[in-house]
Amino acid sequence: MQRLLNKPEDYVDEMLKGIYAAYPDSVKYVNDDLRCYCTAKKKEGKVGIMTGGGSGHLPLFLGFVGDGMLDGCAIGGVFQSPSAEQIANVTREIDSGAGVLYVYGNYTGDIMNFEMAEELVDFDDIKCLHVKGCDDVASSDKGDEDKRRGVAGIYFVFKCAGAAADAMLPLEEVARIAQKANDSVRTFGVALSPCIIPENGKANFSVKEGEMELGMGIHGEPGIEVCPVKTADETVDYMLGRILKDLEAAEGDEVAVLMNGLGATPLEELYIMYRRVHEVLTGKGIKVYFAKLGEFATSMDMIGASISVMKLDEELKKYLSTPADTPFIHQNAI
Amino acid sequence: MQISREDVIRFFEKTSDEMNANKDYLIELDANSGDGDLGLTMSKGFAAAKEKVLASDEKDLGKLFFAAGSALASAVPSTMGTLMGSGLLGAAKALKGRESLDAEGFAAFAQGYYDGAQKRGKANPGERTLLDSLKPAADAAKAAAEAGCDDAKEIARKAYEAACAGVEATKDMAPVYGKAFVHREKLHGVPDQGAIAGSLVYKAWTEAL
Repeated sequence: MQRLLNKPEDYVDEMLKGIYAAYPDSVKYVNDDLRCYCTAKKKEGKVGIMTGGGSGHLPLFLGFVGDGMLDGCAIGGVFQSPSAEQIANVTREIDSGAGVLYVYGNYTGDIMNFEMAEELVDFDDIKCLHVKGCDDVASSDKGDEDKRRGVAGIYFVFKCAGAAADAMLPLEEVARIAQKANDSVRTFGVALSPCIIPENGKANFSVKEGEMELGMGIHGEPGIEVCPVKTADETVDYMLGRILKDLEAAEGDEVAVLMNGLGATPLEELYIMYRRVHEVLTGKGIKVYFAKLGEFATSMDMIGASISVMKLDEELKKYLSTPADTPFIHQNAI
Repeated sequence: MQISREDVIRFFEKTSDEMNANKDYLIELDANSGDGDLGLTMSKGFAAAKEKVLASDEKDLGKLFFAAGSALASAVPSTMGTLMGSGLLGAAKALKGRESLDAEGFAAFAQGYYDGAQKRGKANPGERTLLDSLKPAADAAKAAAEAGCDDAKEIARKAYEAACAGVEATKDMAPVYGKAFVHREKLHGVPDQGAIAGSLVYKAWTEAL
């Protein structure tokens, strides 16, 4: 392993110290706990939107805390859930009486801790609702969508939830819009390498040289199939095939696309892939409303990419198109 | 019989010892069908619970279990850490206001522990989880208490034996959740590591009393 680290056990906290040092006007932490990450620009009266999850996926999760998106994030160790107490502490900070919407990936540890946190803040009379990101088509069959893992597509859910909260809508309405966004997005990922966990210096799963895994999760969860590395176009065709079938997207539909690198894939390759994505979609008469390329949900140094496609209607377009600005992403009004 | 506050403190010391003694065994089993960190989270989590209890002068056993459960869940917010913490919190709820436990109190602990973990994880017995040792233990404790058993050590032993039988039964169970489900093919004949961790809680009781 060739890495720029100090002590591996300080990986998460030193990363956080760097972020707080770089963006002191945008973010802060509460309860003397670096892992309780909150916006420094709280808007009174608005529904608070918070997320949380394991480290190792930057800019997911904390990178989306900022104007027009999220208000807080509880941060766990690498690939580990934050504790219920940390989630509760962030909740108390970002609530301003209108309640808090929890938007997080559909993983057992995170679910249990967010549910436990909700019970803790119930004593403070803070109302919470949950939306669990479950966009990974490869992780469960159609019909079992609620068993799917949450991956990069949660970005769109954050964006819509944040915009709805900014429009000063009540908690139930913000949750409805976030859930609708979640129900409208599908993601498929491929991995060409494993990733190394800094704490033990090892990969806890493997992808052989010359092979790729179709549908692998962002913590190395097994995918659908292992095969020799395909070309970019063949890979995109397979991924989009899976997504569009599941999404039931057809001619005349309008979509947003997120082309995401998993950590060690050059932007060049993402654009090479996106070229094909655009070609296939327009060839099918599906209109791309907007596309975002870059890193949104990574798995440290994993080589690979994911494509997320969200089917749009006027309401979702409205919330996707508002501006957003966080230390990690910037979007102008569309 | 009466289980005193001192017995409960000893229970926390013994649980911590047991999780430590079985650390490598749990890691090995977990590496096969999970993240491979179960031994670490259990020893770290129950050590945190023990420290909390040793530093406390709380007389109300419910509140003592509550402090222990919160400490465990915060120290190790992994899936099993949260479930074990929720078990302790469930026991806390059941024991609120008691300063010692009789047979019925021990049965209430066992049922509360099971209820706490079940409610948090929403699994059911028979799905190859922690619940497959906690449930038989709770049932055995209840049966013994209702049969008029008045020997604390005896009731703990019965609960532990039932938990061990529960662990044994997981060898033939098909996993439904998480990574174990992904690796289900190779798990036949192998006991569930979560159920083993649950049985160690009862082993600790037999040693504490």
